[in-house]
Order: sequence, then structure tokens, then C-alpha cells
Amino acid sequence: MLSLDRSESLMNRQSDTGKLSVKIPSEIKHIRGVSSGILKWLEPRKLDDSRLFDIRLCVEEVLRNAIMHGNDNDKELIVRISYWLEGDSLVIEVEDQGKGFDAGKVPDPTIDKNLMKGSGRGVYLVRKLTDKMEFNDKGNRVRLTKYLK
Amino acid sequence: MSVKTEVKNDLTVCCVEGEIDINTAPDIKKAFEKLISKKTPKIVINLTRVTYVDSSGLATLVEILKNMKAYGGRMRLSNMSHKIKSLFEITKLEKLFEIIADEAEAISTFI
Repeated sequence: MLSLDRSESLMNRQSDTGKLSVKIPSEIKHIRGVSSGILKWLEPRKLDDSRLFDIRLCVEEVLRNAIMHGNDNDKELIVRISYWLEGDSLVIEVEDQGKGFDAGKVPDPTIDKNLMKGSGRGVYLVRKLTDKMEFNDKGNRVRLTKYLK
Repeated sequence: MSVKTEVKNDLTVCCVEGEIDINTAPDIKKAFEKLISKKTPKIVINLTRVTYVDSSGLATLVEILKNMKAYGGRMRLSNMSHKIKSLFEITKLEKLFEIIADEAEAISTFI
């Protein structure tokens, strides 16, 4: 099990490939700091409010899934977030230390019998608000691609 | 996040200010619990000062609606930003909620 002190957990690290990454313990309270950091990093791109809203929402939804469903809220487990630009697209990768899940098994929240349900909209919204959403085979790593122009 | 409540004749207008997300969902639920326990028949939720809603926020509004429907109450949402309205459209929640452009209209046509 990996435990991180706060200063390390919230620190952005830049790799040789230009990717930025941050690791957080599996606690909801860290989500806002990560999304704010990504939005701040994007400031020079002068994106419109609508795109910034989408990016924030998608980041926070996948982080929440990773923390609550992937790592089952176990504070000893970490979530790793990497983000970088590929041409005119933002790519965000989120990986948890859980057993993985099958996104294909998430019921469609928009069909009538599911409309009143309390959950299931997060993954659906992310899929709709990004240009690409891909999972690894295990289902514990998701990569989002969002075109910025 | 805050919820300001005002009674106008037979209906109650609730102005929510701030974000409706996983962090504020418990406070939102608590704010509406009182109105639901009193079986408030008609509620208009004015969202003009709401800047952000996530899937937990949507789920919270669905729960409030469900609890109101259980006793025959009705809820309307008004003054939604274009962006937040788009979330209701994407998730098809627009079929579930009565979404009215502005508060005055939501009140005057609330029969």
C-alpha cells in the first residue's frame, strides 16, 4: 500500500514527454484541487466557459469514480492523474488501484425506467462531453480526449 | 452553497446559490428535507445563481423530485443557465422535470 503525504500528493510533476501528473489519496476532498490545477494550466489557451465547464465536469466525474468505485474509498490507495496536449486536444488519463470495472455494463441512464435512478449519469455525461473515452482491458484506467478548438 | 426560501401564496420559491455537486449535495438535501416533511405542495427552484452541477447534483434534484412526488407534490426548475440546461438535455432529465425559463413564468403558470 502506498501512502502519500499531502505535499507530495498535490504536487504536479512534469515528465520528459511533457506529461503532467499528480497522485492523490482516495478522498473526495482532493478532487477540486486537481480539476482547478488542470483548468489553471489551460488558462493560456483562453478556452470558452462552456469547454472549461465540460473539462471540469469530466475530470471530477472520472476522479470520483476512481476514488469511490475503483479504490472503494480506501485512503491508502492512490489515484494517478496524467494530462497533456496532443495537437489541439487535451488528453487526461486517470488510473486507480482497484479491480477495474466494465463500463459497458453501466445501464443507460437515459431510458425511461432509469430516469428516476440516483446514479449512473457520471460515465454517460463524460462519454457525451468528450471526443473519446477509452478504458484499458482491466478497467482501472480511463483516457479522455477533448478537442479544444 | 445556500438556499433561500420564500413563500408566495400557495407555493414556495427556493433560490439556490453556488454549486450543486458531490460536496454540496448533503446540504441541499437537508435544506429541502424540511419542505418535504411539511409536504409543501408546489416548489419552484430558481437556479439563476447556480454555476455548476455534476452528476451527484443531478441525482440530488431527482431525489428531491421523487420525494415530492411520493406525496403528490410538484416541483419546477427555473432560470437555468444554458450550460446546466444542456446537462438536463443530455441525460434526458428534461423529460422528468418541469423546466421553465424564468421564475415569474414558473409561478404564474403553476396551476
